[in-house]
Amino acid sequence: MKMIDKSCIMFVTKDLRVSFVIFIVGVISFFIADLSISTVDTSLLVEEFFFSIIKLSFSNYSILFEAFLNTISIAIISIFISSILGFFLALFFSNILVRISLSFTRAIHELFWALIFLQIFGLNTLTAILAIIIPYSAILAKVYAEILEEHDTFPQSLRGRSKISYFIYTKIPDALPHLVSYTLYRFECALRSTAILGFVGITTLGYYLSSSFMQGYYNEVWMILISFYIVVASVKWWFNKYTFIPLTIVSFFYLDDFSGFNLDNLIRFITNDIVPYPIRNDLGFDKSLAWFDNIFSNEILPGIFNTIVLTQLSLFLTALLALVLFPLVSKKFFSKPSRLSSHIILVILRSTPEYILAYIFLQLFGPSMLPAALALMLHNGSIIGHLMGNETNLLSLRPDITKKRTEKYFYEVLPRVYKQFLAFLFYRWEIIMRESAILGILGIATLGFFIDSAIADFRLDKMFLLLLVTAFLNIIVDLISKKAREYLKTDSSFSSSRCSLK
Amino acid sequence: MAFNLQEESISYGDFTVLNDFSLSIEKGEKVALLGKSGSGKSTLLKHLYNLEKEDCTYIPQELGLVNNLSVFHNVYISKLDENSLFTNLRNLILPSKEYKDKILKVLKEVELEDKIHSKIINLSGGQKQRCAISRAVFDRKQILLADEPISALDEYLSDEILKLLTLKFETSICALHNVDLAIKNFDRVIGLKNGKVILDKVCSDLNEDDRQKLYYVCD
Repeated sequence: MKMIDKSCIMFVTKDLRVSFVIFIVGVISFFIADLSISTVDTSLLVEEFFFSIIKLSFSNYSILFEAFLNTISIAIISIFISSILGFFLALFFSNILVRISLSFTRAIHELFWALIFLQIFGLNTLTAILAIIIPYSAILAKVYAEILEEHDTFPQSLRGRSKISYFIYTKIPDALPHLVSYTLYRFECALRSTAILGFVGITTLGYYLSSSFMQGYYNEVWMILISFYIVVASVKWWFNKYTFIPLTIVSFFYLDDFSGFNLDNLIRFITNDIVPYPIRNDLGFDKSLAWFDNIFSNEILPGIFNTIVLTQLSLFLTALLALVLFPLVSKKFFSKPSRLSSHIILVILRSTPEYILAYIFLQLFGPSMLPAALALMLHNGSIIGHLMGNETNLLSLRPDITKKRTEKYFYEVLPRVYKQFLAFLFYRWEIIMRESAILGILGIATLGFFIDSAIADFRLDKMFLLLLVTAFLNIIVDLISKKAREYLKTDSSFSSSRCSLK
Repeated sequence: MAFNLQEESISYGDFTVLNDFSLSIEKGEKVALLGKSGSGKSTLLKHLYNLEKEDCTYIPQELGLVNNLSVFHNVYISKLDENSLFTNLRNLILPSKEYKDKILKVLKEVELEDKIHSKIINLSGGQKQRCAISRAVFDRKQILLADEPISALDEYLSDEILKLLTLKFETSICALHNVDLAIKNFDRVIGLKNGKVILDKVCSDLNEDDRQKLYYVCD
């Protein structure tokens, strides 16, 4: 008996151990999470929503058109400024202070940034652009720095004294194509981010989507969604290295009003609004402690708890979905015609921001963790499924392997890509957490919920404290993910698709 | 005296490559280092380069070319320190006639003039090697340190290029595999095995035994 036990333990690899932890934590979260459906006529609502796709229309097409132009030009200007800022920050990325402050700005979601700037500059283009630029330049800076380091074939020892000349001659030429293609990829993300800024009132797509939804004009919701898919799917034809500059100039003229900057408000915000209430009013240490303690036990703790529960549940569901989806788009399992339809579904799920998915599910099922978890699962699962499908297409299997699909899946394909799968999952983890926090705005009691209500009560000091907590939580998850990837030694196993994960 | 090593040890982490190593090379000498991979040739060259950076032109084994730049720019790179940032930028975007002519002349000597506008990424292994050699010739400091600069070239070109290298540099120290080419083009050969010098002689003094020994260390 003892012998058998020992030989079984031999099969427990690091990959399995890590997967087991994800599984257990996911299952526990599943039982803790509130996944109830609270709408009375759920099936009727779902039916009505999905059937209105055949009655596609929009009451005022010029408004729709304007919403698209607004969304696209805000995204273009934001990515333009972010790429310049990001590049300069990337040059100083080796500085620890720069790295820490960038990881902080990255950890706060663009919708939160929008909520902050709303308080300072009001509802305008400037707020929208700043909300995108700040997290995006931090992300671009990090990835640019990695690209510059990676694409460097020139030996250190041959580098001379003129640092700038050597930088321009030996680093830029090899890195430039990668920098450009990553920036173009990021533009797609910026489009999605700009669209959802509408949910806090800026007149981009999300604004019209939510107002159509609330009035029950589902045909308009579908119209917006489908036009958005077309815009996102065609992005590489109208936004590329040749059109980048002209489009940026046109966008500047289109959005000609960048006013709204108010230094007094900014100063008041920093020196007064976000300073904790008891400190601002000199109420002494005890009162301050009571203030903090109250927020800590009533908002921070439950907020963190719910954010983690939603994150872990969604991570687990994402993993399951990705494992089911990837064979559907893999050349190793299905022929071209059947892959095509799966591809289309995955593209649609990938290009719908999780926030919009969650919003739709929330309207259909009522407030609980169910809509959020479903949205996060569908969006992230389809991204990882797509990337895994690509990875399996690169595998070269010997010609005489089994013809049985299930056996092929478990014996030949999955073991070869499992490490990549875990790496993808860990890369997405931090993003799922960022989203879990933000989905609180929709009424699920994660950190975003408390941040949103603090703003509604105009208690900006509390908002700021909660934002700091959210950022810390994200940074911790990022660090754990990094450690886990080191433990699994995954980072060396793939390189091509890493960019599309961040 | 160009180099004078006295009982030096060079190690990577715990691994000692050269132990108690002594070697002196006079100015004007043409020296070939012979030995298998792992014998310590590259380590020795790198070490020598770090001793006299200012006076040495170095061709590393991995060549150190920038893949996405043209042959012209890769050769021009050796002059970055001599020129101003403005000139460097100008030549990056629009190469000047002056430098084009100079570099074309160097490229002719290694039969690479037709590739002046090609990107490194589109070149064969041998062409890349000749580009790195052109960069070295264009740089032309007093001492050449080259780590197997002809490993991807045919016999005829190898011979031509070794002639060129020994001619252009006052002192040249080359790591090589080919014993016959080494004896033909250099004044002095050093056979290395496991970080030890097992033969160090002026070429004209070599006897049949020594040659056999050299073939043995390179095999």
